Order: sequence, then structure tokens, then C-alpha cells
Amino acid sequence: MTADAAPQAPVETRLRDLRSTTTPVEFVARVVTYERRDVTRRSDGSRRPLASGLLSDGTATVRFTWWDPPREGLERGTVVRAVGAEVREFRGRPEVTFSWKTRVGEASPAELPRLDSEEIPFRNVRELRAGEEGFRIEVRVVRVAPKSVTVGAERRVVYDGLVADRTGAISLSAWSDFGLRVGEAVRFAGGYVRAFRGRAQLVLDERSTVVRVEGNDLPDPAQLLGAPPRSIAEVEDEGGGETVAVEGIVVGLLPPSGLVYRCPTCHRSVRSGICRIHGQVEGQADLRARIVLDDGTGALTVNASRVETERLWGVTLDEARSRLRNQPDPSLLEEEILESLLGRRLRVRGVGTKDDFGVTVTPESIERVDIDLDASAEALAARLRRGE
Amino acid sequence: MSLREPAWRVTSRELESSLEEEKGEGERPATYLLSPFAARMNRVLVAGTLTPAESIGRDNSQAFWRARLSDPTGAVAVTAGSFQPRAMAQLRAASAPRPAIVVGKVHLFRGRDGVGYVSVRAEAVRSVAESEERAALADIVRQTLDRLDLLERIDKEPDLSEEALRKEGLPSAWVRAAKESRRRYPNVDRAAFRRDLGAAVRRVAGESGPSRQPEVGVPTVSVSRAPVPPPPAPAPTAAERAEESLFLDQLDEVADVSADGYADLKEVLFRVSSHGLEAPRAETVLNRLEEEGVVEEPIVGKLRRA
Repeated sequence: MTADAAPQAPVETRLRDLRSTTTPVEFVARVVTYERRDVTRRSDGSRRPLASGLLSDGTATVRFTWWDPPREGLERGTVVRAVGAEVREFRGRPEVTFSWKTRVGEASPAELPRLDSEEIPFRNVRELRAGEEGFRIEVRVVRVAPKSVTVGAERRVVYDGLVADRTGAISLSAWSDFGLRVGEAVRFAGGYVRAFRGRAQLVLDERSTVVRVEGNDLPDPAQLLGAPPRSIAEVEDEGGGETVAVEGIVVGLLPPSGLVYRCPTCHRSVRSGICRIHGQVEGQADLRARIVLDDGTGALTVNASRVETERLWGVTLDEARSRLRNQPDPSLLEEEILESLLGRRLRVRGVGTKDDFGVTVTPESIERVDIDLDASAEALAARLRRGE
Repeated sequence: MSLREPAWRVTSRELESSLEEEKGEGERPATYLLSPFAARMNRVLVAGTLTPAESIGRDNSQAFWRARLSDPTGAVAVTAGSFQPRAMAQLRAASAPRPAIVVGKVHLFRGRDGVGYVSVRAEAVRSVAESEERAALADIVRQTLDRLDLLERIDKEPDLSEEALRKEGLPSAWVRAAKESRRRYPNVDRAAFRRDLGAAVRRVAGESGPSRQPEVGVPTVSVSRAPVPPPPAPAPTAAERAEESLFLDQLDEVADVSADGYADLKEVLFRVSSHGLEAPRAETVLNRLEEEGVVEEPIVGKLRRA
């Protein structure tokens, strides 16, 4: 055996410090996702098992590839020690590969790298980007509420909400009960940021830590949620936001508005009885209005749900369906909604997302606004006089 | 990225005074009408008293209706054709003058004599209660005053940057429009315009009744009151006439063999270029023919004799 072929001793490292090297590494990490499949070799058509997924040790999350993994696989949440893994770089991010030379065995959570919280950098909300982790952040809880969701076959409770600092607000999804209460100032560590419906979302799981802090320079929730409306041009410039508040006049409706049919499983709209995901389904009737709101500086789309559409229009879903039996042209319903809304002044609060067609707001509240004509006339007359 | 054009809140008076057009950028540039009072309009929102509509379509297959919307500052023509079926139905629905809000695209027609006529091609029309009309008018006057204030600020501090004004909440589009309208309308009488707005404020206060229906026979919008009359277009030369007739011949030939009766723009351009009339020149000829009302392009890329 020559010196070159001698196995180099693996170096124990934290995932955050992984660099693409020829030296095999050793680390302890938790399995975040694990997926097994077979790949077909091109040369002889034989099949070879391959597992891949994500590993995290609290400092970073990396993708792994495992050739010829054990038959039983690995459970999500298992802590493993890998000795002799190879590090490669893919699209600028390190990845690890386990081969026959790598020893992978179960380890205890106590072996995970101890994080000295002092060395985790602080971030503010505006700096957070999807994929980021290994940071600390101090925020005010603006809103939080438990929600029951189905993950695979399992029912879990997730605490959805909104947190904010002076630089902005970000939606929160906590998969563990930290006893968060609206109004408190907290410091999070061990969370990560993902993209959810086109917007960044801060995710906390069982490994995250929450500490109550003073937070004197953090904004007041009421002030954030009750902020006066801003111009639509500004909202367009900023690409939407978690706490959009605008006021404008309804200038149109976009299709599909009115009576729509949705897939009973995923609530996507059904076209010709076919759901994009679930195929042939029995569509469930629903009402919606995609309102074009314009304040003279810009325009955005407000996606009003059934409840909001019923309230603004003054007609319920059942009434709309019975009208359809007498007058079987669904486009007339859309026209009626437009007729009842066009020119109305609305104040809308909600979450705004931006795409190539502009900003779309998923509203939390839609209020009709009535102008005080006498007061307006007085204010306008005063402004006119000043200019003379 | 093509964001939806905002509906500029304007009075009829401001529309009547607008004469300068501007082409946007991008693949399918929008046309903007630039007003002397810092509006750069593609879409507008106007409010006032809408008269019953009259049909000005040539025949039933080309329905086209026109009504007049008057507010305390003036009046503007509101049109709708078969491409705006809802708005057209709304225009036709009324038999008596009523308060209304109209959202639509502005359109500047310039006749041979250089007189401009501004109209609003309605996208949405709604009859409203008088209080709603007054509320919309309040919004219109407020934003018009905002724009006048912006113009005055730029008068005083011409070097004020877009960025600095944006920090104060003024949309960049407004600042650009204000700078451009100062450049294009150097001698405009803003004091006179403010006096016209006074009438609108009285209407908001309910001190004056609904806007008077303008007398029949008065031209829709006359620009004789406008600050800078456009120079009359020089008469076309013989060479230009020859190019026009070449273009029309080719257009007719293409239209004759097409299934829908329209001539495909690309096809026509290809044919005239093989006769020595190159694309940029041919576009100029087409623009002139459209302005003169000889040719129209009711669908983008499809031409026909008007």
C-alpha cells in the first residue's frame, strides 16, 4: 500500500464550515428529509438504489446523496454520525455524498455541535432571504394563531402568524408550541427561512429556541396592523408585503370572478370538470371576485373570497346559484358583481405578492369607505385658496 | 413587465387642454396623453353628468356609441364600441342625463386642421348616486391639486430628484410626468385652471346642482382654449401621395384574399418593401393614413379601409 492510497483521517466539522475538498469529512447531523429511489445505469440497464435528502446540524442545511443505502432507510429526525463523507459543490452550495467508504451510524442528539449562541449572527427582517438559516433575530409577535394541518397521514398543529421589527414584517410558521403571545418581543435562534407562496416565511421547529426580550425598539402590533393606507405606487415599488394597506376605487373585475367551481381536495379551480392535480372531480361551487383597485397612482388586484364577495355584493352563494337556474348565463353574475362594486371606494388590508402582472392582495379585511363630502369640500377649498 | 396603467383622476377641463402625446416603451408600447397639469394618461377616471348616447356606428355590425360627460369644468366625449360590450350596454341603457363614473382609455384625435379632440373610450361605466359622483369628484380635485403642488415644487426646485420626492410618497411616474409636462407646455395658465377647479369644489360641497347638459351642436372638445396650438401638418407631397397609394393598393390586395376581410400588417409591410417602400418609411405612411382616417387597425396587426 502506497502513501497516496492511505485513507486520510476524516476531519470533524460543522455543516456551516463545509468546503469542497478532497479530504473526507466527519459530522453529526439530523435528517430533515429522506427519499429513496432507484437509478438505472445507462451502461447495462441495471438498477442501483440511491437515497437523497437534507441534513441539518443547526448551523446549516445541506443536501446529501447516498449510494446503496441500507434497506431500512432513515427516519426523519434521526441524528446520524457520518464518517468519511465526500464534499462537492453544486451551484455554489456544498453537498455531501456517502459512498461505500463512508460509515453512517445513528448518534445521540447530544452529539450535535454545541452552538454558542454568541457566535450566531443577528439579522433583521429585511435581510432575510429564502434558504437562510443559522441566524438570530429579535422581533415583535404581531399575530399568532394555532392551525391544524395534515402532513402526510399525520395531523399537526402549526402556529401561524406574523412577526416584525423596524425594517419590516415576515410571516411566521412555528411547528412547535413556544407559547408565543401577541405583543411580546422575542429572540429566535435556530429557525430558517423558506419561500411560501412567493414570499419569505420564517419557520421554527422543535430545535429552535425562543427567548423573551425587552424589545424597546420593536414596533407596536396595533401600529403595524392599523397603519394608514399607502399609495399603490409605493406598494408596487416594494413588491407587496405582509401588511399592505391601500385605499382606492374599484375600476374593474378580472376573470375568473363570480361563480367558480373548485376541486374538493385542493380547492384549485376546476376547468371542464378537470382539476389540474386531481383529474376528473366533482367541482364544488364557490364565489369569488378579483377586484381591480386603483388609487390614481397604480392599480392592484384584490382576491376576494366567498365571504367577502357575499358581503360586498349582498348576494349569497346559494342565491347566486338559484339565480343561475333562472338565467343560465354565468357571465351575468360577474356583470352584476361589477355593477355593485364599480366606483366604490374600498380600504383593503392584507398580504401582497407581486408577479409580472403586478401586485395581488389576499385580503384580511375589506372595508367600504364613505367620504365626508362637506369636510372634503372644505379642505379642497382651503387648498385652492392657498395656491392663489 | 407590463403593470396595469393607473386611472388618472382628471377633470374634463384638463382633458380638453391636453394635446401632447407620448409613446411608452417596450414591445407593445402604450400611448400616453400628456396634460399641461402633470398627468401622463393612458387610462382615466372621470365623473360627471352623462347624457344619453347616440349611435355613430356605420351599421349594425360596427356598433359604436357616443355620449357626453360634463363636470363643472367642461365636457368630454365618452365612446364605446363592440370591443367594450359592457360599457356600450351601459352607455345605451340611459334615456336621460344621470350622474356617472367612467373609467376608460384616453384617445386624442387630431383632425386635418390640427384641432385635437380628446375622448374617453369607456371600459367601465356606472350610473351612481349624486353623492357618489361628488365623492369621485372630490378624489379627482384632490389628486389634481396634488399634481399642481408638485409642479410648483419643481418650479421652485428644478433639480429635485425623483428619489427624494419618492421618499415623500410621490410616485416616480408622477414626478416624471410633471417634469415632462413643464417641458412640453411651457406657457400654461395654471391660475385659470385653478379657478375652474373652484367650480368643481363647489359641486363637491353640493352648492351647485348637477352639471348642466351642454347645448346640442357644440363641438365635443375644442382646443382653441389650449395654450399651445399645434402647428398645422404640411400638405403631403406628390411623392408621399404615391407611397400612400402603393400602400393602399397592397392593403386592398391582401384584404381581398384574406378570410376575415382584414389585411395582415406584416403581409402588407412585406409586399410594400418588395416594391421599394422599406419598413420604417412604410410605418410612417401607415401612421399618416391612420391619422387621416383612411385606414384603421381595429385589431393589433390587422388593417382595413376605414
